[in-house]
Amino acid sequence: MSANPAGVESAGMPVDLSADRRGRASIDQVWVWVLVLLLALELLYFSLTATGFWGGGKGMLTASSEFLDVSVMALGLSLVIFAGEIDLSIGAMASLVGIVMAQLWHVEGLNIWLATLIALVMAAGLGALNGFIVAKFGIGSLLVTLATQFIFSSVATAVGGESPPYGFPRGFLTITGTGSIGPIPADLIIFAVLALFIGLLVSRTRAGRSLVLTGHNRLAARYSGVNVSRTLIWAFTLSALFAGIAGIMIAGVYNAARDDVGIPLLLPSVTIVVLGGVDIFGGKGRVSGVIIASIIIGYVTVGLLDGGSTPLTATMVTGIVLIIGLIIKISLDRRAGIAFRDALARFLARQHLGKAPVAPDA
Amino acid sequence: MPEEIGEKARSRFVTILRRRDAQLLIAILLMSAIVDVMRPQFLTSSNISFMLAGSVVLMVVGTGQMMVIVTRGIDLSVSPILGIAAIAIGFPAQNHNLNILVAVVLVILIGFALGIGNGLLVTVAGIPPIIATLATLSVYGGLQFVFTSGLTVITLPHDYVAVGLEDIVPGIPWLILIGAGVVIMAELFLKFTPWGRAIYAVGNNADAAFRSGIPVRRILFMTYIICGVLAGVAGFVYLCYIGSADSTTGSDTNTNLMSIAATLIGGTSLLGGRGRPLGTALGAVFLSVADTAIVVLRILPIWEPAGVGVLILLAVVTDRQSGPAVRRALRTRHHAEVVP
Repeated sequence: MSANPAGVESAGMPVDLSADRRGRASIDQVWVWVLVLLLALELLYFSLTATGFWGGGKGMLTASSEFLDVSVMALGLSLVIFAGEIDLSIGAMASLVGIVMAQLWHVEGLNIWLATLIALVMAAGLGALNGFIVAKFGIGSLLVTLATQFIFSSVATAVGGESPPYGFPRGFLTITGTGSIGPIPADLIIFAVLALFIGLLVSRTRAGRSLVLTGHNRLAARYSGVNVSRTLIWAFTLSALFAGIAGIMIAGVYNAARDDVGIPLLLPSVTIVVLGGVDIFGGKGRVSGVIIASIIIGYVTVGLLDGGSTPLTATMVTGIVLIIGLIIKISLDRRAGIAFRDALARFLARQHLGKAPVAPDA
Repeated sequence: MPEEIGEKARSRFVTILRRRDAQLLIAILLMSAIVDVMRPQFLTSSNISFMLAGSVVLMVVGTGQMMVIVTRGIDLSVSPILGIAAIAIGFPAQNHNLNILVAVVLVILIGFALGIGNGLLVTVAGIPPIIATLATLSVYGGLQFVFTSGLTVITLPHDYVAVGLEDIVPGIPWLILIGAGVVIMAELFLKFTPWGRAIYAVGNNADAAFRSGIPVRRILFMTYIICGVLAGVAGFVYLCYIGSADSTTGSDTNTNLMSIAATLIGGTSLLGGRGRPLGTALGAVFLSVADTAIVVLRILPIWEPAGVGVLILLAVVTDRQSGPAVRRALRTRHHAEVVP
């Protein structure tokens, strides 16, 4: 690579991971508040227009179980994107885990929880394999996971056979899909636990800091003693594991395993992570942003579908929300005081480093 | 003296063998030969022209995708652009017998307009290509659905069907002429025009290109428009070849990922600055031949995606640039390059 990172990063932009030196809120924090505002407006809109959406908060909570599988997938994916990579194989992984779990239960006659456990361990192993190839062979993750996506989806179809199993035991369905504790759906509890885990992992642990630093500046991470390979491998492992959990949740909600349910969820997941404010080149963003964005996108989809729109219209609106959100975010970046010169430097750096230099300063 | 000549000839031979298009050609011939031994009806002239014609859609989309990937971008919206183009001419052709030449102009204009959308988001709004085109994938996909209002194109006028199925001169189908025309034009454009050269310059080092006076943003903008236009033309080819189109045309055949696969198998580097239309075309032919071989050998078609996946990995591992990078990365821990 002929790129010279030093030449770009010396353009007067201090390296700053969270807030600037004067202690003012960083763009990341401002963005989270923008998302909260958006979510509030959205919930207000649907409460006023869609019948039964409000229902004293109950309708809203029940509706959440229709989209939380994507949210879980996005949580896992956000780790990989924090590290500056991408995982395109999560959709196929969700299908594969659902199918493998169902077949172990149906054909091998295993206890369904044991089958779930085995399928999730398999997911983690395959994710680690993704990470291993990316980290140790230096092949771009876009390529590696594009390839493994094809492989996983073939295997899912092959394992599933002509009519994949359906009709799981009631206990399984209650916990992974349709059950609820009071007004709170079981899916929401699973999501909350996982979200808390990821949030604490990224912001409060050494591993999380290593992850963000790896995405921020891989060379600096290496020199400051971060084991970049290991960090990447566990990021991909968790991403695949979360996709697997999403696959189990999908199986629970639909009471069936199918080989084609996961792949359509890939693009919404990426949309959520990016709208959540995580820089697609890594090293910047908040988990809280991802969580809120996943709820925003989820309710947009559910609200539109309940209002009689087709899934494709809902997808289109998701795309428009993403574009508008990004344009607002980019103009916020500019307002925070990047001069045009620095914007250009960022643009060029993005072009040839494949990664933008960091947080703007006033 | 003769030894020296032998040496020279050998080194030239090795140089040729290192080229991806040569490797692909050998792979295609070898695969065809092996399948032909097992199923002797494989290499008949009609089957060969069938396999070539089957690769044309991918060839045309892949050529546009290749140019975008050369600039270190990616275009995930080619499948809805293909679909919109196919239905936009399919319905008028079915219901009002739209003139075929008007149809060609129409798909080019549609591709142009949708390409402008991508170009604006990438260059003016400054959104990373993978995200910008992800967003337009959703938006264009929705538009495609709205345009069809749930209907399907099923019957086409005779001249469309003729382009899709008949020969222009005996032995050479119309489709192959279109595919070859697009690939040759793209080769000439990239090799001999300043704008074509600028695409490689931007992909190799945008900073250096900018400093040497190349209008980087304008070139990027143009690349997305070309990609859109070629996806539109591919929509026309698809409509003529398949004979029907609906709201999921393009997406149901996984055009996005397959075009990226053909491009990468054809030797284009995701790191930018390297790739050729000819390689992409051979990548598309390779995928088409492999596809037919799977059917002829009666392998379950569900394994086809897995085969594509393995091929992509193989293409990268055998790449002459990333190969050494892999070895370096393994050897030096502390001075390893920053992997982009």
